[in-house]
Amino acid sequence: MTQSNFNVKDGQVTSSIFDAEQALDNASQAQFDADKFARYALIGDAMRSQQNQAPCIDITASMADALADEVTYGEQAPQQEPQKVRQEDNVVALSNWRKPLAQVAIAASVSLVAVLGVSNYAPQEQANGDFPVLQSTPVTGSVSPVSLSSEPALESAEKGLRELQQQRIGALVLEHQRQSRMAHALAQQAQEEKEEQEK
Amino acid sequence: MKWLALLLGVGLSAQVVASDIINAKQLLTDMSSAIQERNFDASFVVVKGKGMEPYRWLHGKVEDSELEILSRQNGAGLEVVRVDNKVTYFEPQTQPYSIETDAIAGPIPEILFGEIGSLSNSYDFVLGGKERIADRAAQLVRLVSKDEHKYNYWLWIDIQSALLLKAAYVTQQGEVLEQLQLTHISVTEQPAQPLIELSSKDFPMPLASLAETENTQKLQNNWRIGWLPEGFKLLKSDRHKLDLNNELADYFLFSDGLVEFSVFVQRPLSGQRASGALSSGATTVYVHNSGAFDVSVVGKIPTMTAKAIAESVTRPL
Repeated sequence: MTQSNFNVKDGQVTSSIFDAEQALDNASQAQFDADKFARYALIGDAMRSQQNQAPCIDITASMADALADEVTYGEQAPQQEPQKVRQEDNVVALSNWRKPLAQVAIAASVSLVAVLGVSNYAPQEQANGDFPVLQSTPVTGSVSPVSLSSEPALESAEKGLRELQQQRIGALVLEHQRQSRMAHALAQQAQEEKEEQEK
Repeated sequence: MKWLALLLGVGLSAQVVASDIINAKQLLTDMSSAIQERNFDASFVVVKGKGMEPYRWLHGKVEDSELEILSRQNGAGLEVVRVDNKVTYFEPQTQPYSIETDAIAGPIPEILFGEIGSLSNSYDFVLGGKERIADRAAQLVRLVSKDEHKYNYWLWIDIQSALLLKAAYVTQQGEVLEQLQLTHISVTEQPAQPLIELSSKDFPMPLASLAETENTQKLQNNWRIGWLPEGFKLLKSDRHKLDLNNELADYFLFSDGLVEFSVFVQRPLSGQRASGALSSGATTVYVHNSGAFDVSVVGKIPTMTAKAIAESVTRPL
């Protein structure tokens, strides 16, 4: 119970330090999670596109280790392969004209191993649990800067636009919203006037 | 024989097209009367890109008066109340005010509550397929713009009750920009309680005259707008101060019945700034820096249209 509480708090503290909502002092540093901090910083940089290079995470070593420890798939494969190799040796020794056939046979057995490998692999992967899914390019999409919703455009507009212009755009959007509320009434009014004139 | 078959074929297809138009229009008319006649309590969301705004919408008839409440459920909030022909807007930071009109100007274009026939100059009514929306069978009706300067508007109408279930602004390329989706609707015999309470409440008097309010001056041909998309008419032009930053602007409001756009002409801000556009959902803001003055166009129109309008504004000779 206390353990889980502590963990949650820990994450919150790291986050609030990072958002500059909490000062970085001795008390908060005690709960400081350096790994998390680094990760948040990386996320932040990626989101703001300040990272010139895409985050490069080297997983070759861990993959090599993982492969080294991997159980060989199925019992059949190791048994089959020596047989095939032996066959091939025999064929070569006996006559050259059977060579192409042997190659076909090897190709077939290799593909069989491959199929076995794949079908064996799928459940193993599940058992192994989660392979980390890397998404090095941040999903930013298009910028939709003006908030039309609750606080009309007081929030930041496009990056790089000056505050004054942001304010102006906010004012324009709000004004358009207010004025267009009258549009329907005005259109009806104009229609009525037109009809009266026609009479 | 071939000739006969061809003639027959042409005749048949023409007939199909004609009945399509009647049906699509008829559906929209049915929808408009259903919205005005029924007692319902609905919730919907408006999705603009990644943003989402939830709303609640109540409508009913108490004795002889038509009552309606539309409120935004997130953020600073907005509440609009309609009692017959008086619509009152409650917003933060502003005094509540009323407008004398028969429809709430919210996320749903007002024209859909009224005489949609007037749209046929600018839009074609096209019947689409049937779909399941909000767990109901719905019929798609498309308002297809007759030129490429406007967005299309698609509506999904409940086959059973003729109520609106979904609507979307769609580009000429078929990309959905902004959509409105009902998440829940209940149609009842009796109007909802908040509506009944409304009829005993007082609301501010409607603004005296729509065209001229305080702090505004009639505009005397100050600017010439060289180009407008087909079908848009000037509803209003004046010079007034903007609410938020107290800046003076020459203002024009245009509408084609379905969508509106505003043109603002202002003193330029200092510094070199490039012209450019921002957008949120279907709404485009185009700011054009023409040197001696700034022209901004705001509305639910494509960026290229807003750009062309803004760049066509000149001083009269």
